[in-house]
Amino acid sequence: MTTETLATAVPDKKTTVRREINALTGLAHLALLAWAIATAGPLIWVMLASFKSNTEIFLGKPFALPQTFSLDTYFRAWTEAHIGLYFLNSIFVVTISTACTMLLGAMAAYVLARYQFRGNRFLYYLFVSGLAFPTFMAITPLFFILKNLGLINTFTGLILVYISYSLPFTVFFLAAFFKSLPHEIDEAATMDGASHTRKFFQIMMPMAKSGLISITIFNIVGQWNQYLLPVAIMQGAGADSKWVLTQGIANISVQAGYHAEWSTLFAALTLSIIPMIAVYALFQRQIQAGLTAGAVK
Amino acid sequence: MTAVDTVVPRRRNRDARAAWLLSLPTLVILLALLGYPLYRMILLSFQNMRLRELITDLAPPWAGVDQYVKALTDGVFWGVVGRTAAFTVVSVTVSVLLGLGVALLMRRVTRGVRLFMMIAMMFVWALPQLVAAQAFRWLTDSDFGVLNYLIDKIPGVDFANHSWFVNPWEGWAVITTLVVWAGIPFLAISLSAGLTQVPKELIEAATVDGANAWQVLRGITLPILKPLLTIVTTLSVIWNFGLFTQNWALRDSHPEPVYQTLATYSYTQAFGQSRYSYGSAISVITVLLMLGVMVFYIRQMFKIGEVD
Repeated sequence: MTTETLATAVPDKKTTVRREINALTGLAHLALLAWAIATAGPLIWVMLASFKSNTEIFLGKPFALPQTFSLDTYFRAWTEAHIGLYFLNSIFVVTISTACTMLLGAMAAYVLARYQFRGNRFLYYLFVSGLAFPTFMAITPLFFILKNLGLINTFTGLILVYISYSLPFTVFFLAAFFKSLPHEIDEAATMDGASHTRKFFQIMMPMAKSGLISITIFNIVGQWNQYLLPVAIMQGAGADSKWVLTQGIANISVQAGYHAEWSTLFAALTLSIIPMIAVYALFQRQIQAGLTAGAVK
Repeated sequence: MTAVDTVVPRRRNRDARAAWLLSLPTLVILLALLGYPLYRMILLSFQNMRLRELITDLAPPWAGVDQYVKALTDGVFWGVVGRTAAFTVVSVTVSVLLGLGVALLMRRVTRGVRLFMMIAMMFVWALPQLVAAQAFRWLTDSDFGVLNYLIDKIPGVDFANHSWFVNPWEGWAVITTLVVWAGIPFLAISLSAGLTQVPKELIEAATVDGANAWQVLRGITLPILKPLLTIVTTLSVIWNFGLFTQNWALRDSHPEPVYQTLATYSYTQAFGQSRYSYGSAISVITVLLMLGVMVFYIRQMFKIGEVD
């Protein structure tokens, strides 16, 4: 409204400012376009290849459109390569483990960020140092621990391991986030005699919504793409019915070599990305809502 | 910290109990599934476990600090350390700068374009490392690769059957490109989320006062973004320092000496050469180096928090 009145008073100024903004925005669009090509290039190649036959893939015209857009490769991937089953397994495992990670991680991060108590720093460093932990070297001891607990080749074992590998980052990020939230409301609630649980669930969680959502997405993506851990844990008799998506994809890739089903592999790759897009699209509105609703001045 | 806590010490005790209770599940899970394997790894690094002990199930002989002495006096090991550190510095600098650039640009474009960018980035972010590495292996393949095909199209350039991994500089350029390409989406998405928290009024006020874009960035945007930048930089350092999948897959599970990083070197020593204890010692040194970097950054972060 103010710009409107200003504009009528000083029309020249408005047009120059607008032209400057247009030039900058134009440059921004150009830069983003160049970068979008660099980002999307390899993926477009993957998606095009998912519709092609093997001969087409090796023909040497990588960005040529496929001869036909049939969904045959997708059906083959879904049924013959059992990608459908692995897809559901992945969804099951990631849903439970992300939910548990967020609950446990948020509780720990909350007390570490907001309570002064003996051992606070010690616990914080202990949790966060897990970030420096090299996955590949831990595989053998991890295998034996789970074996002793009878959790090898079970979803429970895989979920527990996913949780433990996601917690350090979750605590690290959320603790920083909880620290940045204003103390006034929290203190007021303490004065009014609110219990810890009440403060946590009814005051802190809603305030931290945007941070919680970002880390949830981060954990979902991270766990969905995990490969080394499921390979180590989901083995033994009948394991291939409990594989997750990445294992199924790797299996096609191993079988493919230079000869067989490359297009099935590309179809499986495309399928594996779709849920992540869906998750992001679903959360996108909430991220923005969380940012505006969670802002306390 | 608050007045209430100092006035009522009993309340403080109750707080401490609640705090420990709420962190207990995390503590138990981490100790069992990260702590114990770490303990086993450290133990192994002080022994001398070879294939014979592994097969016969005999207790490996105690070796004290022999494995560490061996590593720290070996020129090859220091070469690997230097290479890993150089790669980390270059790749983190490039990806954080580009990530920040993309995040800043995204604030300037229309909603539709922004959404399109987000989708493109989610694609890259959602790609498992192994798969991304395989895709790059195909892109740079000397016979069927798209990259050679495209460069060969440039008039006067003959890139047919060019092998990208003969010259280590070219090979590392491919690996770094892969890591930066895959790393930017996380950086750009989190930084652009952080940018939404920069108050618009502040920027408008500065612009009205005659500040140019560079001054606004240095004086307003970066200070507000600093905690988040510290976090994402630390994470990038940790991830890139532990580079394993990318060079492993691009070199077909047998990285040549010039393509070894600390992670692959330790793995090759342990499982390739059956020097399990030596590999563990290298891992422990790697963890210590990473922790050193992390403590530095975490202290920085605490300082930022205390100034606020």
